[in-house]
Parts: sequence; structure tokens; C-alpha cells
Amino acid sequence: MEKMSRVSTALGGGGGGAVSGRTMFCHLDAPANAISVCRDASQVVVAGRNIFKIYALEDDQFVEKLNLRVGRKPSLNFSCADVMWHQMEENLLATAATNGAVVTWNLGKPSRNKQDQLFTEHKRTVNKVCFHPSEVHMLLSGSQDGFMKCFDLRKKESVSTFSGQSESVRDVQFSMKEYFTFAASFENGNVQLWDIRRPDRYERMFTAHNGPVFCCDWHPDDRGWLATGGRDKMVKVWDMSTTRAKEIHCVQTIASVARVKWRPERKWHLATCSMMVDHNIYVWDVRRPFIPFATFEEHKDVTTGIAWRHQHDPYFLLSGSKDSTLYQHMFKDASRPVDKANPEGLCFGLFGDLAFAAKESLISSEANRKPYPGGDRRYPIFFFKKPDLTEQFAHVSSALSVFETGLESGRMDWFSRTARRYLLCGKPFAELCDHNAKVAKELNRPQVSTTWTMVRIMFSDPANPNLSAKLGTLPLMNSFSMKDMGACPDMGACPDMGACPAERGKEGRSDAAHLEPGTSHISNNDDNEETEGSDGQAEYMFGDAELDDDDLYSVEHDNPAEDQEYTLPQEAFPLRHEILDNPSAPEPLQQDKAESPHVSGGEAEATCLTPIESCSLISATQPLYSAHLPAGFFCPVVRDMLRYYAEQGDVQMAVSVLIVLGERIRKEIDDLTQEHWYTSYIDLLQRFELWNVSNEVIKLSTCGAISCLNQTSTTLHVNCSNCKRPMSNRGWVCDRCHQCASVCAVCHHVVKGLFVWCQGCSHGGHLEHMMHWLKSSPHCPAGCGHLCEYT
Amino acid sequence: MSIQYGEPDMAGSYGVADSFPKDFGYGGDEAGIDDDSSASADTQPRILLMGLRRSGKSSIQKVVFHKMSPNETLFLESTNKIHKDDLSGSSFVNFQIWDFPGQVDFFDPTFDDEMIFTGTGALIFVIDAQDDYVEALGRLHGTVSRAYRVNPHINFEVFIHKVDGLSDDHKMETQRDVYQRANDDLADVGLEKLHLSFYLTSIYDHSIFEAFSKVVQKLLPQLPTLENLLNIFISHSGIEKAFLFDMVSKIYIATDSSAVDMQSYELCCDMIDVVIDISCIYGPIEDGGAYDKESLAIIKLNNTTVLYLKEVTRFLAVVCVLREESFERKGLIDYNFHCFRKAVHEVFEVGCRTPRNGGRPDDSLTSSTSTTSSSSTTRALNHRNYASHNGSMM
Repeated sequence: MEKMSRVSTALGGGGGGAVSGRTMFCHLDAPANAISVCRDASQVVVAGRNIFKIYALEDDQFVEKLNLRVGRKPSLNFSCADVMWHQMEENLLATAATNGAVVTWNLGKPSRNKQDQLFTEHKRTVNKVCFHPSEVHMLLSGSQDGFMKCFDLRKKESVSTFSGQSESVRDVQFSMKEYFTFAASFENGNVQLWDIRRPDRYERMFTAHNGPVFCCDWHPDDRGWLATGGRDKMVKVWDMSTTRAKEIHCVQTIASVARVKWRPERKWHLATCSMMVDHNIYVWDVRRPFIPFATFEEHKDVTTGIAWRHQHDPYFLLSGSKDSTLYQHMFKDASRPVDKANPEGLCFGLFGDLAFAAKESLISSEANRKPYPGGDRRYPIFFFKKPDLTEQFAHVSSALSVFETGLESGRMDWFSRTARRYLLCGKPFAELCDHNAKVAKELNRPQVSTTWTMVRIMFSDPANPNLSAKLGTLPLMNSFSMKDMGACPDMGACPDMGACPAERGKEGRSDAAHLEPGTSHISNNDDNEETEGSDGQAEYMFGDAELDDDDLYSVEHDNPAEDQEYTLPQEAFPLRHEILDNPSAPEPLQQDKAESPHVSGGEAEATCLTPIESCSLISATQPLYSAHLPAGFFCPVVRDMLRYYAEQGDVQMAVSVLIVLGERIRKEIDDLTQEHWYTSYIDLLQRFELWNVSNEVIKLSTCGAISCLNQTSTTLHVNCSNCKRPMSNRGWVCDRCHQCASVCAVCHHVVKGLFVWCQGCSHGGHLEHMMHWLKSSPHCPAGCGHLCEYT
Repeated sequence: MSIQYGEPDMAGSYGVADSFPKDFGYGGDEAGIDDDSSASADTQPRILLMGLRRSGKSSIQKVVFHKMSPNETLFLESTNKIHKDDLSGSSFVNFQIWDFPGQVDFFDPTFDDEMIFTGTGALIFVIDAQDDYVEALGRLHGTVSRAYRVNPHINFEVFIHKVDGLSDDHKMETQRDVYQRANDDLADVGLEKLHLSFYLTSIYDHSIFEAFSKVVQKLLPQLPTLENLLNIFISHSGIEKAFLFDMVSKIYIATDSSAVDMQSYELCCDMIDVVIDISCIYGPIEDGGAYDKESLAIIKLNNTTVLYLKEVTRFLAVVCVLREESFERKGLIDYNFHCFRKAVHEVFEVGCRTPRNGGRPDDSLTSSTSTTSSSSTTRALNHRNYASHNGSMM
């Protein structure tokens, strides 16, 4: 005892300087099962099924000192599952054999065979041997057969047997501080505490793990802490000083824990290695259980044995592995996962809340500098971790902020409200656009609103001067600022839009460049001739546009008759006239404009343009371009715009514009895409239970696949009113009773159209006839005496 | 050393495959077991399954021994009479599983506890962990104390069942609680010596198989011998892990002494399924069984692991997990397996010839038999010189 303390103080004073070395390894002949270090940290013994050797630890290499596996034919007693070097007596070793033998070895023996004693009391494999830390002759073994035996090395057989009640013992460890106590861990998940003097019954038992407990280790200081590791991949630290074992720390590893060893001189640290899968050795700080403090990654196969080189030196770790190597790891060479770990975490909640965790220093400075963009409310919550005292493990305090998004942004209210209020048909095109733009604006979606305005401007019929003058003056002005072609190149560089706007801008310009005025004129004429009864107007229009291209408004004023023309075909189709309109900005400009309120930071020049500036631009640029623009000029732009919206997830916008624009744009987009948009939008609408809107969309859709949706699931059964049988064919006469089925009760003619009938007596007839009749009499016109009611 | 017995059999088994009598997988040893079991069905050690109604007893039995898929157990009718399931004909587990209905009343005078508990090797009490288990604990106490009075040699096993629905923390808490209360109850009536073993089980993973394996292993007097044999086998063949499986139930009756990793165990279970399924499809039709003497399967996984399955006895197979580089020495493994197989046959032969005394597997006679057999086979093995890694036999 004295000697030991002397050594330890010497070492402790040196602070690790007494033992020097580097990370090194040597090849063993066979896989190692266990290693153990001698007391003065100068030698290490390696034991395995086919190996049992002692190596000396020199400064930069391992030197094989002794092979204890001697004899021509090694007996099974050499097949070691565990080995322990006595910490008091430096010549004394004990091994546990897979055949159940416990063998002690005396290195002081002069002969080649150093085997000292052989105990063959266990019937099954002995998993663990353990010397008493301060008693020279006391050896404890734990075996697969469920028994622990205590041997006095001066006697030939065991002095006492402890029965773990038929569960296999995986580990036994004498307590560091309590002389008589030892802990045993079992395959059924239990840990037992025994008093060495009382072999009849354990002192205490508790269930530590779910599944086998493979290892346990007492804390080297006197706190009564016991660390256990099990197949459930946990390392748990128990406080045994209280009456009831209390779990105080728990570390979750990634594989079942085979060995656990407290790190000397470090109160909170322990080293673990795993049994399968994972080959690394981890050193954990139990207070920070989510990331290893240090990792040793040298081994190529499962690490089977770990030992700190000296019991007062935390910087040297020895390990043996199945890959037949023996390593000495230097702590300074360990990899620190915490350095590589990303200290920021970001996560979205179910309702759009955002949680962000980052290093405290980082977040505090950031919070002052930049508020949450667009966030009207901000509720940061701060959690501080306890600062770590050891300087090696970096200060780990981090802050978590939770940003709650406004209720509106998380919800889809805008969707259903927009869907309900949008007008898709029934009004002139320009009015529809303006209405929708207004709706979008009211719902605080400026981008969409502007898009509608743009669409109107691009495609609108110049015959609606009142409307455009009334509703759209300012937006018009804004958009005119965009149509400045000079701004286009700038837009390509706009950071928020990325590549798309650049493309669109390019396309628009190239179109303008390639199309000769003459050819476009002809093609547009052809188109217009196909449309019903508008040839003349279209030609006139076109010519007009060519003539009056310098004054947009005059063009619009010149066509008052157009108004009438457009209201007619609304139901069947949206407007079909492709009329050259005033040129306006390519779409992306609009989007940029619309988005700019959201985006803080530098923007392209386009946003800087004030209406006044742009007004001045109108006059400069408009005459140059508007004359040469054919009807289809904007179609690629609009098509890209629709695609953009659809990709952004706003399929509502895509479909609405598609419907409102109708023929103007339909040909630009292939049917499958359209169908896809339609189905998505209808699906969304139905999920929001907007049946009416969805029905309207179905009705207005020009896709065959969509418009037949309404027909597929609707079945109409017609029964004869006389014989109550189903009417088989389509005639008006029931083929069973040979009578006209739906005869008006008033005029006795067959009703071919709206048939209204009383639900009480099922008599009815023409709508007007019934209305008239019931105004004058409350009784049924058929004379059945029922008092019908018309509401 | 039963040369006169073993050798001809071995020769037959290794040489000609089709020359086997259909009734018995092979020679006299198996026949002996069969005769014995049929003659003394009532005296062989039983495993009793007990517990409250709807705690999952029949499900366990169906899943473990009848390959029922766990999901199908939802449709099992509740058991209303004692269901005796004799597995001796189909499985190595030479025990009877008595599946008791949950509402069996022990205080009914017609309930013959003498008869039931005398031949019982293990009593498994199933507790539904998802339910309130206070009533179950009461029943456990009554059952166990009564059985203990009749036959103190019974192994009492408590399955805390249906834990698949519990969180990890909750599992531990439940186990601790059940353990505490059950032992307190026993201590109150002075039955401290009665030892209960607890297992957390679920039919939806392999925990039920593992628990059953442990239960069966405890009833197996040859276990230490088998374990030693496996130890020797794997250490000489460079195998990482070896299980001795009962093919029908996929419970392992022995393994080497290194710790059982759940993943390897599941892997081996899956391998058995694969082998059985494939041989059901492509195997010879006339034999009927999907598993016979010729059964041998090698599966190479893409993580340099090799699974190796080979028939040992009619019901047993060895399933090994090893590395590809060890598998390069396949001849060595085959030879060592040959020795191992022979030794296992000898072990069970010895077990057969000794008169059974039902229900007391830990009886001194049986265990002494097993130790002698152990030492003899060990000697035999040493004699026959397990070819080892660097051995000269290659």
C-alpha cells in the first residue's frame, strides 16, 4: 500500500511527464480478448483465444517480453477470455479461460511455464477475473454459469461461491473504496452488489439495462459511482451511495457497450468500446452525453480490451483489438468529434415555427444585428448549458431560439379566400384581371396582384379604356417602368430570381429581335380570321396598333365597340382574340417588383425606379417596340411565369391565369402539364372543401381529362312516375307502362326541359305552369288532393 | 467414446445422402430419443405457459413454435382448455408446452396441481406490460407459491410481455416495478428462496425467441458441454459467433460464450427462414421436409461477413457468423465442423442412455452425466485433434 501511494504521488507530481510515449502499435499474432497493465505502467499483458503475451512499453514501440503460451500443445486453459494483472503484486496475473478454468500465473517462477494455480470449479466460460485492489491473495471470478467465486490464492479451491441465481455473470469488479464490496453485472440486465463476507445473498440488486450488462466499473474516486454498459447501447452511471441506486448520468452510444473504464484524474470522463459494428474507442464526458469528448479511430476491427496505462495518468490509453493489434493511444492524438460537429441546428415545427440553436456567442451578436426577417413577433427562449470546467472540452453553452411564425403565414387561409373570391369568368377579360388583382392585393399578396395587372396589360383588349384608366392607372405606370428594355439585362443579374428571369428576359428580347413586323402581321391575321366574326375588327385593331403605336391610350379609346364583343363568349370559352397590345415588361420584372417588399438587402436597379422616372421612360421606349410585337409575343413569358408559380407551389395562380387567359395561352403549355396543374388545384380545393370553386374550375377547364371529371362520378337515375320502374331507354315513354313518363300535370304535355315536381306527391310539370297553378291554388294540379308548396 | 456407435452412422451420413430411412433422420441416437419421448410423454419435463387471459400466451406459443406471423395472432381465439403441445416430434425442444387458459382456477378441486406441477421443468408466467399488472401479479404470486410447494425444482420465468408498445425508459421502469412487487409478495410469505427470472419480451421482435432460448437452455443439462464444444469449434476455425439452433422454433439451445449480439442473432434467424423457404421451393419433393441431412447453406453478405449453416442433428443446425478471410479456409471449417458434429451426437447419445428423471434437470444424476460426457467429449476432441488455424491437419 505504501509503495503504491509513493508511485502514484511521484507520477501525479510529474503530471504525466514520468511516462512518455507516442501513439504506437504492434501486431499480435492473434485477436486479443483482453489486456491489462501492470502497476508501474511499464508492461502490458495481452490475452486472447490464441495469444497470451507480455509486452514492454517503451518510448516508441512495444517490445515482446514473454510468451506465456508455452508447451507443444496448448491446453484449453490458455484460451483466455479475460486477464488481470495484480495491482499490488507485480508478478501475479490471473486469466479466465473459455473452458471454465481460472488460472493464476507467477512471473517470478524460474521455469518456462509460469502457470501457478489452476481452479476448474466453473462449469462454463469464465467471463471475468478480478483481483482485490488491496488484498494480495483475493481473486474473484464471474462465469457464464451464473456463479461468482472468490479464491484465496493460498488455498487450492474457492473460499466462497456467490450465486447470481442462474444468470450469466458478465463482469465483476471490486469496489475501489469499500473493502468488502464488489459489483457484478448479469446478462439479464441486473447489477448486484455483494458483500464478500456474505455469500448467501446479495446486498442489493437493481435492473440497470434492458438486455445484458456487459461491463461495470467503479469510479476510482470515492464517490460510490458505478458505470455500467450494456447491449442496449447505453452507458449509465449509478450513484450507489444512497440506499436506492440512482441513475445520475446516461450516455447513449451507437453500439452495444463492451467495456467501460473511468479515465484517471478526470472526474467526469470514461472510455468505452463496443462489442460489434463500431471499432472506435470513445471517451465521454458524462455531463455531455450526446457527443464523445474524444475518439480513437485506429482499430480496424472491434476493440476488445481497453486500459488506461497508469492509474493516475489520463493521457495514455492502451487497447487490444480483434484485428490483432495492440495500440497505445495518446490523448493529444485523439480526434475530437466536437470540433467537426456542426454547432448550429435548425428545425421547422409542425406549424411553421422555427427553432434555431447555435453557439451562444454567435446568436447573441446576430440577434442584435439582424432581426428575424419579416417576422412580426419573435420569442427567443434561451437555454444555457452548464459551462464545462475542464479546459479541454470547449465551453458548450448554446442558445436556442424559437421563432414563432405569425398564424397567418402558417395557414392556408389566403388560399381558400383567394379561391372563393377570384373571378374566373363571366366578365370581360380586363375586369377579371383587375378584380383578381384587387383580391390578391387585399389578401396581402402583392406579387400575385401585380402579376394579374401585368397579365391584363399584356393581353388586355384596348377597348376597355375606362377600366384600365379607373383601376389600373398606377399599376400601369409601375409596370411601364418595367417594360423598359434597357432594364432587362439588369434583371438577369437580380439575385433573388436566379436563372429564370434571365432566361425569360432573353427569350422576350430574342423574340422581339427575330420577328419581322410583316410576318407577324400575316400570322396574326390568320389567327384572327379563324375567330368568329371578328376579322374586321382584328385587322383594324392591328392596323390601328401599328398606326397609333406612339400613343397607347389613344388606341384603347379608339375601340369602344370591342366591349360588347367580349361579353358574349364568356361561358364557353374565354376570350379568343389575340390582339396586339402595348408592349410591357417581361414578367420577371414584375415578380421582382412584387417580391421586393419581402427581401431586404440590395436589389437591382429596377426597384429603384420610381413611377415618375418610369413615366419618362415610357415615352422614350414605347414607340420603339410596341409596333413590332405580335400577339404571341408575351406567351413565352407568361408561360414561364405560370411554370414559375406552379413550381413555387402556387398552382392556384397558374390555373387561374390559365383559365382567365384561356385560348391566349393554352397552346403554349402542353396538355399534360395543364392537366397536372388542374388536378393539383382541384385536389387542393377539394381538400379545403371548396366544392363550388372546384366545380367551376372543372367546368372552365379546357382539358378533356379534367372536364370529364364531373361526368364520371355523377349518375342520374330516372324512374317512371307511373310504374316506379327505372326508365331504360332515353325516350320520354316508359317502355313498361307505355305512358309518357314526365307529363306536365297542368298542360298534359311531355316536359322536355326543367321539370319541377312536388316532393310530397311527386306530381309536377313545367316550371312556369306549376308556378302559375300554385299561385292560384294550393292543391296539386293532378288532383291528388295533396297540398303542394312552391317555394 | 462410442466408436462402435458413431462411426458407421457418420460414414453413412457423410457418404450417401439418400440412403436414409425416412422415419428417422439418422441412426440409433435419434431413434432412441423418439422412443423415449413417445413412451414417456407425460413424464418428460414440461414447460407451462400461464398468465391472465389475453396476456399473449397462445400468441407466444404460436409465434415461437408454429411460425405464425405476429400480426396473425390478433385473430387467435382465446384458449379455454389446457392446450398440450407436444413438440418432441418436430423440434429439438423435447418438452411439452402446456398452454393454459387464462381463467384457470387453481382452487378448483378438479385442478390437479400435483399432476401438473410434478413433471414441470419451467413455468413461464406471462404478464401483459401494457395492461394494469396488479391483478397479474396477484395471480403470479398464487401460481408460483402453489407450484413451488408441489415442486421446488421448477424454474420460474416471468415474461413481461408486449413491451413493444413501451418506451425504453418505461420498459425499465416496468421491469423494476414488477420485480420489486413480485419479490416483495414472495418475501411476505417467506418464499425468499424462490427465484423468479424476468424477461422483457415481445412477439414483434426477436426478444421472445431469446427469452425462450434462455428458458430452454436452463433446462438443458448438456448446455455447458455444448457451449464448450462451440467455443472450441469457433476458436479453431476463426469463426466469430456460432449458434446451435433448433430449426423449427429458431431458438438457440447453445452458443459460444461470447456475448450474444442481437443483430447477429436476428441475422441467423433470418438465414434459417431463408434456407427453409428456399428448400421448400426447390428441395426434393419426396422427402417432404425442408430441412434434412444435406442442409447446408452459405450466405455471403456484402460487408465481408459470411453466414454458414449446417445440419447437426435432425432438429439442430449450427449457424455461424464469420469473416470472409476466415472463410477462405473452408476445408478447415468443414473438418472442424465434422468433429463438432460427431461430438454433439455423442453428447446426446450419452444423454439418451441415462434414464431420464422427469422434471428435474438439475438433478445430480443428470448433471453428473453431463459432466462426464463433457469431459469425455473434450478428451475425444483433443484426441481427434481439431485442426486449428496454424495446425498441421490442413
